[in-house]
Amino acid sequence: MLKQRKLKSIGLYRRALVAGLAIAILGTLPSFRLMAAKYYRDDPMAVEPETQDASRVTPWTIDLFYDLLLNLFAHPGTQPGSRAQNVNTIDEVPNSSWFTNRILARPLSIDEAVRGPLETNGPAAGVLTVLRAKSEGAAPGFTLRDTAGETWFVAFDPKSNPEAASAAAVVAMRLFWALGYHQAEYQISSLRRDRLQIDKSATFDPVSGKRRPMTIHDIDPVLAKAAQNADGSYRILASRLLPGKILGGFKYFGTRPDDPNDIVPHEQRRELRALQVFGAWTNLVDIKALNTMDTLITENGKARVRHYLLDVGSTFGIGANGPREWFEGYEHLFEKDKALKRMYTMGLYLQPWQTVKYQDNQSIGLFEGDRFDPLVWKSRVPAAALLQADDDDTFWAARRVMAFSDDMIRALAKTGKYSDPAAEKLLADVLIKRRDKIGQAYLTRINPLVNFSLDPSGVLKFENAAVQAGVVKAASSYAAAWSELNNESTVSRALGETKGSDRLTAPQGLPQTTGAYVVAEVRVVDSAYPNWAKPVRVTFRRLDNGWKLVGLERMPKESVAQTLARGIPAGTREPVAGL
Amino acid sequence: MGPDRRSRITVHKQMLRFQSVRRYATLWSIFLVSGVLLAQAPPGVQPSSREESIAAQQAEKARTSQPPQPDKAERWIQRAEQTFLIDPSGFFPSFDSVYRGGGLTLGAGYRRFYGDNTFWQVRGLYSFSNYKLLEAATVSKDHLDKRLTFGSRFGWRDATQVAYYGLGITSKEADRANFRFKETYVDGNAVFRPVRWIPIKGSMGYEFWNIEKGTGDFPSIEELYTPQTAPGLGADVGYVHSQISTGIDWRRSPGYTRSGGLYEVTFHDYHQAGGAGIYSFQKLNAEVIQHLPLLRETWVLAGRARMETTLNDNNLIPYFMLPQLGSGDTLRAYATDRFRDRHSLLMNAEFRWMPALGWDMALFYDAGKVTSRRGDLNFKQLKSDVGIGARFHSINATPIRIDFAVGNEGWRLVLSGGPVF
Repeated sequence: MLKQRKLKSIGLYRRALVAGLAIAILGTLPSFRLMAAKYYRDDPMAVEPETQDASRVTPWTIDLFYDLLLNLFAHPGTQPGSRAQNVNTIDEVPNSSWFTNRILARPLSIDEAVRGPLETNGPAAGVLTVLRAKSEGAAPGFTLRDTAGETWFVAFDPKSNPEAASAAAVVAMRLFWALGYHQAEYQISSLRRDRLQIDKSATFDPVSGKRRPMTIHDIDPVLAKAAQNADGSYRILASRLLPGKILGGFKYFGTRPDDPNDIVPHEQRRELRALQVFGAWTNLVDIKALNTMDTLITENGKARVRHYLLDVGSTFGIGANGPREWFEGYEHLFEKDKALKRMYTMGLYLQPWQTVKYQDNQSIGLFEGDRFDPLVWKSRVPAAALLQADDDDTFWAARRVMAFSDDMIRALAKTGKYSDPAAEKLLADVLIKRRDKIGQAYLTRINPLVNFSLDPSGVLKFENAAVQAGVVKAASSYAAAWSELNNESTVSRALGETKGSDRLTAPQGLPQTTGAYVVAEVRVVDSAYPNWAKPVRVTFRRLDNGWKLVGLERMPKESVAQTLARGIPAGTREPVAGL
Repeated sequence: MGPDRRSRITVHKQMLRFQSVRRYATLWSIFLVSGVLLAQAPPGVQPSSREESIAAQQAEKARTSQPPQPDKAERWIQRAEQTFLIDPSGFFPSFDSVYRGGGLTLGAGYRRFYGDNTFWQVRGLYSFSNYKLLEAATVSKDHLDKRLTFGSRFGWRDATQVAYYGLGITSKEADRANFRFKETYVDGNAVFRPVRWIPIKGSMGYEFWNIEKGTGDFPSIEELYTPQTAPGLGADVGYVHSQISTGIDWRRSPGYTRSGGLYEVTFHDYHQAGGAGIYSFQKLNAEVIQHLPLLRETWVLAGRARMETTLNDNNLIPYFMLPQLGSGDTLRAYATDRFRDRHSLLMNAEFRWMPALGWDMALFYDAGKVTSRRGDLNFKQLKSDVGIGARFHSINATPIRIDFAVGNEGWRLVLSGGPVF
């Protein structure tokens, strides 16, 4: 009996082993993972998790020249064509150390936009103590400490274009803050030489490279290049020292190797891709790693890297040292085909930048809206993230640009403190014109339906972003193909199709059990825009009290019907968003 | 075989089988555990939430992350920047010419600062034509709110095969002879700019010209020429050389510009040191350069007119000190020092267009003449050439210029490390 029991147990043992082995092997196969649920219980995420301690991230210096060569000629980053990987399942960018949802995501008052990232009123009154000076380079200036103990970097407007660079910096800072980027605090203030004193420990780096104690005369060459007011004072752009440890900039491709939380390649981050649109709007041509900054901060007891977009003052029509090059905004620094054509034709191969007209205003420079075409706008140096911007990225960005009202734009232009009212008006007028052109260009390129909701009775409501923005007149009608999704197997079952003018009622048989998923693929019928016939796919999860939007794919590769026709379970072909 | 024995054998077989199954089971257990562990590994883990999924990826990166390291290309570029652009002290490559016509020249120097922007340096140059230069200098910049620069230098150079074709614009190409000179010089110089666009330059120094037999493929000068056809032939001359110049310079930079101009006059006094002073003379140079941008600098019309004239008609001016034409920045299709005489007139015109930032193309026309009498400085009997060129430049320098020029005496390819004007 004992032997028989032993033998029987051996048989069981063997069967258990085989089963266990099969499970183990299956568990390692990718196909097994593909059968995982499409939506998690915490979808859609509102905040991008940063779970690891980043205290070991070390400062680095990105070489300007190498970065320029790499981006101009080597085309770094993954191949274009992939969906942004940091969007959540409803195609939005969660808040993160890169980005904070502000305009469009929530009501943003004009007062709040005007306040922007400012936490102070600028350098405090009284003596300013100079800590360092930078007399050479693109933006000469110096670092000083005010009587409140705050540290500021001070830069000046060039004599040729007084007010231009400082105004651009403070206006653009607010625009980009409202758009969602982390911004340094920039303030316009004034300075007199007799208000300055040199810190006892201040040092100066002359051309020789031999650091020495600073004297008051070391700042004179900086002041000599600066535009001076009639009363002898100087208008300054004061930039407040960023909180945390300075780590150096971030690249527009790849990830920072030593930041464990930085797992999405930067060229696949939507908020960086969106700079193709935001850059076009504001003419932020100088997009490069050197104009960014990472800092190491501590939040909730954890060390994290925060990413800043800096030097957004290289916007509108004037650079830090004077007028822009004519081609900026229209061409990269080097484009082989255009260069060869210009060479062969002795320069007769003309481009728009050679004939576009600008209003003559020294404080605004080469910035106009009449011939501006957002679809052809280019940064000076190609940046991988911008090159990879897809239609859903630019649509996402354009909605944010369109969320700036005329009044808000005019209020922000006022913060530039232009002494010439015409300059302020020109800046606002051009921003409004360019905003409208961005809406026209990007809100019409793909199906523009937004703000989906499904009420408990099965009525699907939504809005048309292009109509909302006044870019087009109301579309005639809409249609939706409905299906039920098995979230675990990701297999769909068709439920039927419905049509309507501004809202759509689900067909009979909509599942009512908690945890059920229903998919609607909504398209515009009879639109003047053929791309609007391609559906937006929205997915709702049934809760106790109604339906919750958990999925939105603006550019699904194929419809559920097409997938079913091929016999492949829906969901196995569509990549789940990275977050 | 009795039943007991059979039974024992069966049991024994079962035991053997049991043992082998046990080994088999142990083996499979190990495999199973490995499989389970593998299944638990991050790629195969089944997170229950999106946050878990991301946390797993971040934890994986935390395990493998390394401090950033520049790759090989980046390190190489950083080293080059450090050497050429950033660190002003120490050894540096020197891209300069020993003397016109010396051909491709390589050089290096060593510099040390002893003030904010004050340094001394030594450098040496050597050309493929065996031209040599050794020079020690000190330069002090950025005085008086960056308005004043001054310096001093002491040097020696050896030019082994300088061309001489005889005097005048009608000299023949076939009459080329060579001479060699060794010049020792010491001077002090200063540039003062009361305003940015008005440079006032001055210098004073001593230079000694030791003339020797020429080397190279052509006859030495004394074999073909006499003191009548080559004034000062056989003389070694020392000069106290003073010069002063002033003008208006509103170009963006002398090294590269697409707009602005230069209008400058320079007076030279060459006072023979020692001897009877028969070789003393004065010279006046006048130069006008204008750049006219068209359609947002799509094209640039650029022109230069330059006159060099010696002032003491009765004095003897050694042949090697005479104004000359012919070289990569005067008459580009003509050999270096092709024409020499007491006075010269040069005109250059360029039509430039810009295929890309940092890359210009140019069609050009050069014309000029040398004369023995100032009154003959007119537009008759001009030597001229035409050509096409490419230039690669930065904001303020033109490190590469390639010009192809065609004239009456054939064509020439000019490779230069500076602008033509």
